Amino acid sequence: MAVTVEQLAEEMYEMIKEAMGKKSFKATDLAKAMIAKYGEAEVSKDDCKHAIRVLIDTGRCVYSYFGGSYITLPHKEGAAPD
Amino acid sequence: MADEGVKTTLLDELEKGPWPSFVKEIKKASETSPVCDDLLGQLELSYEEKKGHWKHGGIVGVMGYGGGVIGRYSDVPEKFPNVAHFHTLRVNHPAGWFYTSDALRTLCNIWERHGSGLTNMHGSTGDIIFLGTKTDELEPTFADLTKAGFDLGGSGSVMRTPSCCVGQARCEWACYDTMKLCYELTQTYQDELHRPAFPYKYKFKCAGCPNDCVASIARSDCSIIGTWKDDIQQDDAAVAEYAALGLDIQKDVCDNCPTKCMAWDGKKLTIDNHECVRCMHCINVMPKALRPGKERGATILIGAKAPIIQGALLSSVLIPFVPADELLETLKELTGRIWEFWSEYGKNRERVGELIQRVGMANFLDAIGLEPTPEMVAAPRDNPYIFFQKEDGKPKDGDGQ
Amino acid sequence: MTTTPAPAKRITDIGPPHYEKFLHPLIKKNYGQWKYHESVASGVLRHVAESGDEIYSVRAGSPRLLSTATIRLFADLAEKYCGGYLRFTSRNNVEFLLDDRAKIEPLKKELLALGFPVGGTNNAISNIVHTQGWVHCHSSATDASGIVKSVMDALHDRFTHEDLPAKLRIALACCLNMCGAVHCSDIAILGVHRMPPQISKETLPKVCEIPTLIASCPTGAIRSATYDGKPSVEVTEEQCMFCANCYTVCPAMPLNDPENDGISIWVGGKVSNARSAPKFSKLAIPFIPNNPPRWPEVVDAVVNIVNVYAKHARKYQRMGEWIERIGWPRFFELTGIPFTRYHIDDFRYAGTTYARSTHIRF
Repeated sequence: MAVTVEQLAEEMYEMIKEAMGKKSFKATDLAKAMIAKYGEAEVSKDDCKHAIRVLIDTGRCVYSYFGGSYITLPHKEGAAPD
Repeated sequence: MADEGVKTTLLDELEKGPWPSFVKEIKKASETSPVCDDLLGQLELSYEEKKGHWKHGGIVGVMGYGGGVIGRYSDVPEKFPNVAHFHTLRVNHPAGWFYTSDALRTLCNIWERHGSGLTNMHGSTGDIIFLGTKTDELEPTFADLTKAGFDLGGSGSVMRTPSCCVGQARCEWACYDTMKLCYELTQTYQDELHRPAFPYKYKFKCAGCPNDCVASIARSDCSIIGTWKDDIQQDDAAVAEYAALGLDIQKDVCDNCPTKCMAWDGKKLTIDNHECVRCMHCINVMPKALRPGKERGATILIGAKAPIIQGALLSSVLIPFVPADELLETLKELTGRIWEFWSEYGKNRERVGELIQRVGMANFLDAIGLEPTPEMVAAPRDNPYIFFQKEDGKPKDGDGQ
Repeated sequence: MTTTPAPAKRITDIGPPHYEKFLHPLIKKNYGQWKYHESVASGVLRHVAESGDEIYSVRAGSPRLLSTATIRLFADLAEKYCGGYLRFTSRNNVEFLLDDRAKIEPLKKELLALGFPVGGTNNAISNIVHTQGWVHCHSSATDASGIVKSVMDALHDRFTHEDLPAKLRIALACCLNMCGAVHCSDIAILGVHRMPPQISKETLPKVCEIPTLIASCPTGAIRSATYDGKPSVEVTEEQCMFCANCYTVCPAMPLNDPENDGISIWVGGKVSNARSAPKFSKLAIPFIPNNPPRWPEVVDAVVNIVNVYAKHARKYQRMGEWIERIGWPRFFELTGIPFTRYHIDDFRYAGTTYARSTHIRF
């Protein structure tokens, strides 16, 4: 495999950071973007899943829920009291 | 309870009357948990103002999981600081909702240590609901739960906690082992349950027979409803006994049969099993005399949901019959294909039933590799706008290559 | 995650405990080998196995919202009467599993003394499946527990007696999200909003994604707009059907309105395949205002429908089957419920509910 899971995680992280506040991504959005970039021969859905797991398990990203589940950077919750 | 001046004039009205009172439950919990005083206070305010006072949190949870915790914050935290955070944990229930007293006490100990002491037994999807705790307590609650052998259930765009009826544990009508299937599906898809990767939620419900005690046909994206293929097991002596005891076999049983496949001549009940649609009515009326056949399994149906977004749907038939011992393998294979198609083509917040409505059942069948069968429809189409496929047409002259 | 640091060694993905650990020995022994069952009394079932073994289930109603104190009480009762084995039903009742018939009456007596009615079996009204309401929900148009308590107080005898023509299942959901999936119940009590979302223009750009918000509306009533130079949205109010889907994806679109939120009542749904196919509940009463603490108008409406059904339905007919036999005009006539423009569907597939024959009863 030309693209490592760590590399994918890094790219996904940048993608999420870039769009933070404008657009949230679901797990499938991230996977589709990576596959579109590198092609199915280089990146599998499983690789993408592992990359997301890396981001979540290290705490660099978190899941958020508003009607659907998204992957975002950790941030203070809008509804939380100060 | 109301010692510190929580006045609950309106809620007190709900302590009256013969049905067990949820207000009494909250007051009971408030004897040991100060947060319940503020819950009572906020609820009383809702009763005064006719309006809820909760805000939806979207981000709290336990490390690594994207589901199992529902974030809640009070919108009047200055008045009720103890419920400023009031998050819910969904705890995956044991199949069939069976417990021992010890298991229940273990759960109580954990929840009294970390939360409000209020629960739902159970929530709508089936989980044990731990109602109300602070963000800081989520991880410690989770640690205690897993140490005791419990795990969180689903929320968000995940496979939600599967649930099932009591099945073969205590029901003679169960046509397959619902608790085993439910448990195995839950274990097989732990990753899909905890880490949201779908367009929206996906629910499994396992019902042992067409009576559908878990409402799978209305409430699950994948409904697995027990049925049988051979003849109803019939005990003529027991039928006669029901008749002798005053049951009007003609009126109560035969006349209510949807296909009128039964005849009663005053002595003998004759069933034309070939015509039977396995509705369960006659079996429900005479459980000692009639039982589901011996060749048992389940019908797999797809697509039920509540109204949000495009309207409510009931599940519809996908596979008319799968033998009981092949159910898990068949479901695993089928589910993989369904999830792959749905993940690829489903829009954000689109349930699989809505996707099928949008792309058409025939296209969905193509995508998951199933052949159409007449059992899938109540009737064939009555509109002539048919999307004929190119490969079914005859190439015109000069069109062939 | 907004959490405290995780402990070093975390256990995850273990799933629920295996159910076998919690099964009564007699259930374990006769698993899959049950022969038949019968009703011993209201709220008491007797299941007989091929082996001749018998297990008795004593079913009691609960408010669903339970304190740990009450759960401990159930645990104590289970230990006292049945070796500690119990379960809960899909309608939030608690069931004690006894192998000794002699213990049924003492257990019932103790349950009743503690305020937990025994019943909910066969042709009784079982517990009302319901949602969180004002106790815990952010989008509720009404409370859940308070209405359930008030309705069940009034229907208490229907819970403890199996004297209806058939099963009667009531469910309550406090908004159209229907966490309680009430849409296939004999009687559904459903919280509804009646006013379009009030847009919190100041907070909206901070807490919501506008494309997601626009896409959330089933009727396309939400369009992008600018407010104070910042991106925002506007709502075409005539297109709003008050589903609150926008509020689910964007907290700056609240629909809560004390004077306009309330209750609708739906009838005739079922999930069982017995006799007729499963069906959706249909609209009976479009709106009843919220009237806490005891919602007397809702209670009266439900009791009226139950009483009319009990009087007129034939044996074994569920609510929906009875109405199909007598026809909807007669249902409205017998119950005295007015038929209004709101009873005629105007969303997707609306035409499927129009009368497309001359089969009319006069």
